Amino acid sequence: MTGTEIIGRSDLRREDRRLLTGQGRYLDDIKVHGALHVCFVRSPYAHARIGSIDTRAALEAEGVIGVFTGTDLAQWTTPLRMAPDIEGVLPVEAPTLPIDKVLFIGDPVAVVVATDRYLAEDAAALIEIDYDPLDAVASYEAAVADGAADLYGTVPGNIVSRQVFAGGEPDAIISSAGIVVEARFSQNRVTHAPMETRGCIAEWDEGQQRLTFRVGNQAPHPLRSQLARRLKLDESQVRVICPDIGGAFGQKIALMREELVVAALSRHLQRPVRWQEDRMENLLAAGHARQETCETKAAVTADGRILALTLNMEVDFGAYCFYPANYMARVVAMILTGPYRISNYGYEVKVALTNKCGSGPMRAPMAIASWVMDGTIEAIARELNLDPVEVRRVNMLTDADLPYNMQTGEVLHDITPAKCLDTVLGQVDYDGFRKRQEEDRARGIYRGLGLCNVVEPSTYGSAFYKAAAIPGSGHEAGWVKVEPTGAVNASCGLMGSGHGYETVFAQVVAEGLGVDAENVRIHLGDTDVAPYGMGTRGARGGTAGGGVLLIAAQAVRAKALKIAASLLNLNTADDLRMLGGTVMRKIDGEWQDTGLTLQKIASVAYFDPLALPDGMEPGLEAHRAYDPPAMTYSNAAHACEVLVDVRTGKVTVERHTVAEDCGRVMNPIIVEGQQHGAIAMGLSGALLEEVIYDEDGQNITGSFADYSIATAVEIPPMRLVHVGEPTSRTPTGSKGMSEGGIMGSIGAVTSAVNDALAPFGVVADKLPLSPQYIRSLLRGIA
Amino acid sequence: MKPARFAYASPATLPEALSLLAGHEDARIIAGGQSLVPMMNMRIAQPELLVDINRIEGLSGVRFDGDHLVIGTLTRHADLAANGLVREHAPILAHAASTIGHYAIRQRGTIGGSLSHADPAAQLPLIGMLLDAEIEVKSTGGERTIPAVEFFEALFTTTLEPGEMVVSIRVPVLPNGHGWGFNLFNRRSGDFAEVNAAALVLGQGAETSVRLALGAVVSAPVRVDDMLPPFNEANSAWAAEAAKVVAAETPVEPNARIPEDYRREILQALVESTLFDAMRRS
Amino acid sequence: MIVDASKKTPLTLVVNGQAHTVKVEPRRLLSDVLRDNCGQTGTHVGCEHGVCGACTVLLDGRPARSCLTYAVQMDGASIETIESKSAAGKLSALQQALHEKHGLQCGFCTPGIVMTMEAWLKDNPEPTEEGVREALSGNICRCTGYQNIVDAVLSAAKELKGDRA
Repeated sequence: MTGTEIIGRSDLRREDRRLLTGQGRYLDDIKVHGALHVCFVRSPYAHARIGSIDTRAALEAEGVIGVFTGTDLAQWTTPLRMAPDIEGVLPVEAPTLPIDKVLFIGDPVAVVVATDRYLAEDAAALIEIDYDPLDAVASYEAAVADGAADLYGTVPGNIVSRQVFAGGEPDAIISSAGIVVEARFSQNRVTHAPMETRGCIAEWDEGQQRLTFRVGNQAPHPLRSQLARRLKLDESQVRVICPDIGGAFGQKIALMREELVVAALSRHLQRPVRWQEDRMENLLAAGHARQETCETKAAVTADGRILALTLNMEVDFGAYCFYPANYMARVVAMILTGPYRISNYGYEVKVALTNKCGSGPMRAPMAIASWVMDGTIEAIARELNLDPVEVRRVNMLTDADLPYNMQTGEVLHDITPAKCLDTVLGQVDYDGFRKRQEEDRARGIYRGLGLCNVVEPSTYGSAFYKAAAIPGSGHEAGWVKVEPTGAVNASCGLMGSGHGYETVFAQVVAEGLGVDAENVRIHLGDTDVAPYGMGTRGARGGTAGGGVLLIAAQAVRAKALKIAASLLNLNTADDLRMLGGTVMRKIDGEWQDTGLTLQKIASVAYFDPLALPDGMEPGLEAHRAYDPPAMTYSNAAHACEVLVDVRTGKVTVERHTVAEDCGRVMNPIIVEGQQHGAIAMGLSGALLEEVIYDEDGQNITGSFADYSIATAVEIPPMRLVHVGEPTSRTPTGSKGMSEGGIMGSIGAVTSAVNDALAPFGVVADKLPLSPQYIRSLLRGIA
Repeated sequence: MKPARFAYASPATLPEALSLLAGHEDARIIAGGQSLVPMMNMRIAQPELLVDINRIEGLSGVRFDGDHLVIGTLTRHADLAANGLVREHAPILAHAASTIGHYAIRQRGTIGGSLSHADPAAQLPLIGMLLDAEIEVKSTGGERTIPAVEFFEALFTTTLEPGEMVVSIRVPVLPNGHGWGFNLFNRRSGDFAEVNAAALVLGQGAETSVRLALGAVVSAPVRVDDMLPPFNEANSAWAAEAAKVVAAETPVEPNARIPEDYRREILQALVESTLFDAMRRS
Repeated sequence: MIVDASKKTPLTLVVNGQAHTVKVEPRRLLSDVLRDNCGQTGTHVGCEHGVCGACTVLLDGRPARSCLTYAVQMDGASIETIESKSAAGKLSALQQALHEKHGLQCGFCTPGIVMTMEAWLKDNPEPTEEGVREALSGNICRCTGYQNIVDAVLSAAKELKGDRA
């Protein structure tokens, strides 16, 4: 039916008005009368025993209400126990605040509560802590070395997780193969660095015996469950409310220690308590990601076809497990083969604990996978002196291969890698580039074109968690209500931080219900209002959130039309539809306005229920839950064009082009914005960002002066082409997207740099691609 | 990060400011604050008294006294970059000022503040050294003029005595037809330089002299004119040769994050293009 | 003449045309005073060391990072924050362009960008893309990848030029 499709429209965002005019309400904007402020005292050592903590001077300081330490928190809360029933993962338990040992620089050891943050910081400076420093385990190598200090008694040798897998006969084939190509990929430790740091406000109501917890968090209900459990409260004693969030990218999901401490303090002191992290704390202690090294071995034929592939992956995880240690690495290993046909595949993944900030999922936690897979293909091409595009093609899955069962059990149903690759090569005029590249090289100018093919897992339905033995589910819940006056409210368990949900979900509900999007209001982030859902992560917003809202909206529409049929004295609602809030009837093949509005139907449903069809309940709303497929897969091909100044090693990205198939595009401008942001984050990470710990475990990148995020100068113009069709596997027809941009940009920019440097016979396999690293490759050669 | 407490004074006259500095050992001047305030907010710097000189009249602006530009200490980078006199008589100074940090930083940052902060990677100390600037300094005890080469002592350290304050900077006017070059190397737009270089080509023919100043290689910007090979002809071969010599011979202080061999390579590339730019412009 | 370190000294800040009298210690950052004492929470704090640009306001008409200014320095000064931009409920040209070009996602960096780039556009009414990117490089955005913001600034420049024509 033409003209009725609201999903797929480029609606401008409703969120914009308040955000543009300074009327957004982020956590720190919320005023709470009488709230106390906290400041955490953090360890200056990477690894040390905690001796005495002298708080006397701090307690006397102006404005100080109290100073608390790990032993206090141990009375009020349960410890953090991460002991998933996953083979190869060892249990780890840590107190809410450390009592015996600090495990990384920035580990919070004590907390000051004062009447304002300035005074709290003053008092924090007066606390004297007697540390007995221990050897710092400051790298994966140091963690696994003989005689290395153990961070936890339950993890001797510091390997907290190890998984081994073989599908087919990879080892046998590789050991007897004629040609085996090896490649290595070393990814840098980075951090999410959302523009808004973490923060929270806890208000314990002693009369109600209830905690109201305001926090910017991507998954409000799971957070509520964790808070209740750790505080030894009933889940109904906790309400989580999320205000506007200034970016999250995965850093604002799990219940972190500081938030739990603030909640416990509010209950203990029976006063509102609040915390806003400063940027140094955020860079030091909020959560890191991606420090992984991968080595691949591929047995290949003379034309580059991969017979078998193995992956050896080592992860430098940091000191605390807020997520199962294999949580992120697991997905890398699972989807590594991506868009390629590889029937013999095996891996060994080891995760080590180190004296660094703990790792967590950061937008595209599996980011390294595409770089590793396409990088392996490029290594094969170099070794065999073949065109890397041809080696990609010879291994690439075609339509005839689908659905494709990966050795790891993942099933690729409707991906289109060849189409995306062809599209992107056309967009960048691949042959034309090669010609210009040759001319440039003759003049001593080194440009490169890099490619990366991405298969992006998203959605993560319950079947995924079950198969992975990870506790948790992947369904989403939602409700749609038509109010007595015809206003439409809707909610689901997601929480955005810039995703545009208020706009896109209104479009979904509008289409499902048959009203205008402007009449739909979306409510997210309040656990007393929204249904229990699994939150925003894994690029599941469109598929899971959009999916459940569409289903719920359609259910409400069905009821409304049944009521309409009854009011119009019709036997059936089959010839009725709802459009723009008005009931239309098909008479002699033409749709005609019946004059009956949703508003009228609603008023009957609420205020004249005896006029409803027999047996029908009053009201006009629907609650639904939807469990999406275990996984949906989007795919894309990235092309990155760079200029490398071989004298200085500086890499300039000139243009980045992507052809993506994410199924139905629910709102093109929002989807494009997500792609831009993902590409930028990937390029920034690959070129500029790095959390650096020295060999004593000191974090030397604790401010924005040292931790460099790309600006508008470093991020190039980006061009996106959409390819593909709605999938039949989800209600909205979308497949999930927003992380693939990171996967592809990391792979493509590295590929581009290698392409530029090809005349020198060097290969970059370590991130970031800093000027000094590039120069180190070229030294003595150029 | 919130700063530690400090007392604050905002004198309306220069003598009042100097008197405050003289009377308080642990006083610091705040001008633009773009370098000082981050340090204070992180509690790396904790002065007991902040003397705010922004209200003092007559400390900003540029005037021309015949053979020198006299630049008030409070002259903001943006104003320096746009100033007609500077653009005419010392264009390298205007250009360098336009590259400092970012647009908003340049609205507040001042020349006096930048020189006093003495970051070896900063633009204005480098240009000050190149142009043989003279820094006019006052205290309750009197006044003196410090040549740039004696002003920058070490990392974030000048030869200002306690109680002394920069009031103006005298920059010799450059002759018509001079050539200048300025380049900095950073990883990201607006960052401090990992290496920077500034050059002047003065005179013609047999009278040609070349000046070269380098920043961020040791703890203060340095002039390395003496290191340059004899100048016979303005061409790219000479620039390349000069860059090679300078990169090989100039002292480079070790830095945990930037290895020496790499820094010398950047230096070579930068010096070559800077000398070439200067020759081209002359 | 010296304000004691722990004295809550009275100041008058003229914020968006309205005089606010506040009493704060010298060390209070202007960003905090605007937000906590003057009720203008549109100015956001991203780093407190002058790098991210989220806190940019206009001080006597010129853009400046409010986290690098102590409120006490601004006694009697005129300060404009994001709240001044949408006069009588109408979005400014740049705000409207950002909306139309989808130049914001989480919105946290947006006020700082509007304050910076509107001032910059006044100085640079016929910008190039390169110039816009350089000017924008003092504001870090973690969500958008900048492209739509650049497009919005260029579009607003055209719009403003059209108005002046």
